[in-house]
Amino acid sequence: MGVNRRQFLIGGLGAMAATAGLAGLSGCGGSSSSGSATSGDLAFTWWGNDVRNKETTEAIAAYGKANPGVKISPQPGEWASYWDKLATQTAANNAPDVIQMDMAYISEYGNRGALLDLSKYGADTSKFAAGTVDSGKIDGTLYGINAGINTPTILVNPKLFAKAGIDVPDDKTWTWNDYKQIAGELTGKLGNGIVGTASPFNDATLSAWLRQQGKELFVDKGLGFTATDVVGWFQLMLDFQNAKAMPSASAITEEASQSLDQGSLVTGKAAMAYFWSNQVEAVNQAAGTEMKLLRYPSLAGKAAERKAWYKASMLWSASSRSKSPEAAVALINWWVNSTDCANICLAERGIPANTEVLGTVKPKLSKAQQSVATFIDEIKPELADTPIAPPPGGGTLGDVMSRAMSDLLFGRSNVNDAAKKFVDELTSNLSAS
Amino acid sequence: MSAISELSSLKITRARTPEERRMRAKEAGRDNKAGYLFLAPWLVGLLVITVGPMLASLYLSFTDYSLIQAPRWAGLDNYARMLEDPRLHQSLKVTFVYVFVSVPLQLLLALAIAVLLDRGMRGLSLYRSIFYLPSMLGGSVAIAVLWRQIFGTEGLVNQILRLFGVNASTGWISDPQYALGTIILLHVWTFGSPMVIFLAGLRQIPGMYYEAAAVDGASRWTRFTRITLPLLSPIIFFNLVLQIIGAFQSFTQAFVVSNGSGGPSDSTLFYTLYLYQRGFGQFQMGYAAAMAWLLVVIVGVLTAINFFASRYWVFYDD
Repeated sequence: MGVNRRQFLIGGLGAMAATAGLAGLSGCGGSSSSGSATSGDLAFTWWGNDVRNKETTEAIAAYGKANPGVKISPQPGEWASYWDKLATQTAANNAPDVIQMDMAYISEYGNRGALLDLSKYGADTSKFAAGTVDSGKIDGTLYGINAGINTPTILVNPKLFAKAGIDVPDDKTWTWNDYKQIAGELTGKLGNGIVGTASPFNDATLSAWLRQQGKELFVDKGLGFTATDVVGWFQLMLDFQNAKAMPSASAITEEASQSLDQGSLVTGKAAMAYFWSNQVEAVNQAAGTEMKLLRYPSLAGKAAERKAWYKASMLWSASSRSKSPEAAVALINWWVNSTDCANICLAERGIPANTEVLGTVKPKLSKAQQSVATFIDEIKPELADTPIAPPPGGGTLGDVMSRAMSDLLFGRSNVNDAAKKFVDELTSNLSAS
Repeated sequence: MSAISELSSLKITRARTPEERRMRAKEAGRDNKAGYLFLAPWLVGLLVITVGPMLASLYLSFTDYSLIQAPRWAGLDNYARMLEDPRLHQSLKVTFVYVFVSVPLQLLLALAIAVLLDRGMRGLSLYRSIFYLPSMLGGSVAIAVLWRQIFGTEGLVNQILRLFGVNASTGWISDPQYALGTIILLHVWTFGSPMVIFLAGLRQIPGMYYEAAAVDGASRWTRFTRITLPLLSPIIFFNLVLQIIGAFQSFTQAFVVSNGSGGPSDSTLFYTLYLYQRGFGQFQMGYAAAMAWLLVVIVGVLTAINFFASRYWVFYDD
């Protein structure tokens, strides 16, 4: 017989050894050398899509032409693997010089000393619209520069509303209950498995809902709400489910892991959905329908009290270990302040925060992007304080909440237990980080 | 070299003068050096790729390590925290259910197919390849994505059920009641590699045993239970141990099917998936390392139990 005891034991040990190796990984990446603002080698990383990759590569070439002393090596990535790669690169001490950063991770990196204080190297935000610089500040230090403005919106498919014979609601007066009721009616009238709205329950809408009650997701290094505060939120979600305003629990779970073009609004399976404003164009293109932008609802039915905010759709950061910090910041300055760059990238990363740049490129924007720019401008009176960046560990809020919500939607929990579990787990994530 | 010739050479050595002995020792030293040289490629690989990272992860498991900052000594903190981590306990539950359901099912299926194929029929290699195909594909991302489509609320399975008048609206991977079952099914379906090993084992059982048994009037079932199973038991044992270890390390399917979340409601939160979430999602590499070592201990203990139990049922021919 082919196998004896000894060969076997070795095989088993080998397989076990592979298990232990799981957590001992490390990564590799680019390198850099010293230089001034106009010379140096820069590694530049971003996550994105085909459009963004093309435009960014074009802009990098344009910058290289104007600044022959700067050599940029691009490292494009995908959102799903981007953070693993960045973490291992940072651990291995060769993080890229210029980093496209997200609000969810900026304090994770900033608080741990991995990011450069951009204001020390001449970052220029003098032309930025009010409230757009603060999102990149952690405890007063400028770790990231707004790469484009975003705001939460509810997108509406006017064709489905017309088909159901229901008027598109007035977004200046609608409440969360109106939202539920209208969506429920739509589901009833449309039939064929089409629902009123995709699930609007996520971290951004929770933030909106809490702010309207004078709470926040996060306050200085901690949670800005208690379990009692979110009981109402979870109850609202169950009300949506009971009113058949949104899809089944299974369908919601599936949609959470689908790409934008498979989402129920795009495929015509839902008449409304929550989206960030910079996603409007992608949604319109994928759906072949022009969606209407609505303000998210308020508790009181007054848009002026809905506590809206501008979010940085993404930010530009630089590595604290960059060997050419001046050159890195110079590139970021060019990216956000020059019309040369804006003419190439337009509003793909969100509406430019620099008001002068926006004025120049606005006529060149697509119809959808122009309507977003107008929307962003119109909601200015409704803005409240910009929410602070999630503290380390706070980036898990979305995941923790979606677990609590699926427990509820599948009837495996009740609102009080779900709220407690949600807050407990989040608190422990914050303290462990 | 057999033991007897070794002994005789020892005697000769003792008979030599000290000078000659030194010469021989020198020669042996040179032989050893050459041996290590030939071993070097494997040895370097073992040290750099296996032992090194293992020791590093053992060290990291006693630290607070965020990947971004240097590790900070934390003693047994990580291990203490594991006791009070409800998601860790959930992930252990999910993984144990997965291992103890999917491995026996998969081995049974692999054995059954192997016995069916072991008949010297025409086109055997073609059938063997076809049955092996899922194993080549099953671990891949593409198949996991495909399964997501097939078992979705609007997927193929539900469409077929509807043809038969069943009003199916359950998402087989998005409903916490069924999600793990679907992944177990995916694993069972990849029975190819144990099957090929079983086939090889079956081929080595001498035909004369069966002939003799047939002459004595043994039924087909008796021949299977009295000849095939005992002679195949080392192979079954081999497959069992390897599949158990492999199943504990399952990652890809759960990661892709649940999009890395282990959802819905943590029903597919495999141990390795949770380890990954802790290490790379939440930057708690120290905790992840401690989790990896707990897995090593669990797999080690189970393997030891397996070996102990094997004394009572595995029949070695050598």
